[in-house]
Amino acid sequence: MYDTSKLLLQRLVRRIPTQMLKATLDKWGRLTVEQRQAMDFTQSKWALTQKLLSVCEENKLTLTHLAELEMIHAMENPNQGMWYTFQLLEPENDAQSVELTQFKQQFKCHLSELLRQMSVKIKKHTDEAVWIRIALGSSFSKPNHLKPTYVVHYLQTPYVFVRNLTSKLKPLLSQALTLATRHQGVKEANLSGRNLTSIRDLLMRQYQQVFPTKYHSPPEEEDQPVLNQHIEKEQGGVAAHRRHMAHQAFGDGMLPQLQSAVYMLDTKFRDPNNRTMTEREETFKCVVKFSSINLLESLRSCASSGIASAPVTPLLSSIPLKGRNYFVVTDNTPGPSSQGHQTQN
Amino acid sequence: MSRLNPFAKLPGLNTASVLLVESEEHFQQSLAEALVEETSVTVNVRLAKSFPLPIENDESRPRIDLVVFIINLTSELSFQSAEASLKYLEPGYFLGKVCFMVTNARSSSVPAERLDAVRRLAASLHCPLLFAEEQTPEGVTNAAERLLTILKAAAGFVPFTTPLYLSNLTRCTLPPDIDQPSFD
Repeated sequence: MYDTSKLLLQRLVRRIPTQMLKATLDKWGRLTVEQRQAMDFTQSKWALTQKLLSVCEENKLTLTHLAELEMIHAMENPNQGMWYTFQLLEPENDAQSVELTQFKQQFKCHLSELLRQMSVKIKKHTDEAVWIRIALGSSFSKPNHLKPTYVVHYLQTPYVFVRNLTSKLKPLLSQALTLATRHQGVKEANLSGRNLTSIRDLLMRQYQQVFPTKYHSPPEEEDQPVLNQHIEKEQGGVAAHRRHMAHQAFGDGMLPQLQSAVYMLDTKFRDPNNRTMTEREETFKCVVKFSSINLLESLRSCASSGIASAPVTPLLSSIPLKGRNYFVVTDNTPGPSSQGHQTQN
Repeated sequence: MSRLNPFAKLPGLNTASVLLVESEEHFQQSLAEALVEETSVTVNVRLAKSFPLPIENDESRPRIDLVVFIINLTSELSFQSAEASLKYLEPGYFLGKVCFMVTNARSSSVPAERLDAVRRLAASLHCPLLFAEEQTPEGVTNAAERLLTILKAAAGFVPFTTPLYLSNLTRCTLPPDIDQPSFD
């Protein structure tokens, strides 16, 4: 499949910014010292592609080697594309003791039983994450390396993050993952985002949190320490209280970057001013989507400035609390994936 | 319902106190910092989001000489909050001790009806209506200067001028064609 190799290399060189290209190629380690020195990174990308193509031909590099290069680049830049989260359920007794070699072997073994034509690469990243690159083919075609699926799993946690999952691969991947990690099932965790580090931080609570206290400290700190003695706030206490509630719900310092939150509402319409709609028997279905560059930051400032009501509503505070950004809201039915709260119009 | 009373307390010596009421709590901070730089009188600035004011501060609050409502024209909530706060003022304030300040009047997203509504409100209460530009430091100093002129008169520092007299000259009037449709 020589054409596919050329195409993959072209795409890679286009996608990797020139400043990072040298470092990525060095990490890849498939070029000899002379070849590396002969690369001139001030040339245009097209010239670089041609040079690399000739180098690859010289070294007889194949598609799998190029896939390695792509994986190195993906691991250095995890915050691209759309990541979806899955959660593993019901661990068995030895789930806590699954370590890397066992996981790798089991995963490859199970997946190859289910699929003939596929290419799997597993690598461990410096921060304990296991990265898996899967290129899928069918019984008639070779693996498609141009559209690989990336899976990131942290061993001994139940969380799996997937990018570019196809519907064909989904059931097979679920089965291979549950067997390899010694669990009994996997479900969608309803959390998605562009930033892998952020959704990981959100789920594993690796951001600065404020714990609820009964007697919270008097409001001082950064609230204008050098305030002019002639300027005084009338409602300073109220503002500090609001700020404290907002920080309790959403945390103190830098927040993980989420891009959106979606609420699927399936509740009865409630508006005292609109009799016709309220009198209907059927539920009113609607979708509410909040999107922002940094959603949690904007929700926190909404709450502390008073735009959102002061004890932060559980609908919003459950985004960081439960680590999800997709909710189904129905009337009065507390269920695992729904919130038993009534919406206000 | 306790209202703010303009004459219930004694004034401070060479001191003028102004209350800035703004629903967004944004412009009032920079305006306050510009106001306290005045040297000829001591200016005390109190900042609030809306009325009613907390009762705990009633004892320590000085006599408020001027109440300024800062309305951001791009937000309907801002206007409604200011309107709702009016009923917490004693009628004595409306004899020249209340002023309206409007920001973002040049923004294209402002519907013309809102500015008209603010004008009508100011005109019906016989209060001056000032337009301020909050995004540049010059705009803030400008607004502070004009506010200081009114504040000095309201606090009694200008001889032969009472706040009622000044408000008669500076109050907002409605243009005669306010009810005609505009050419947008």
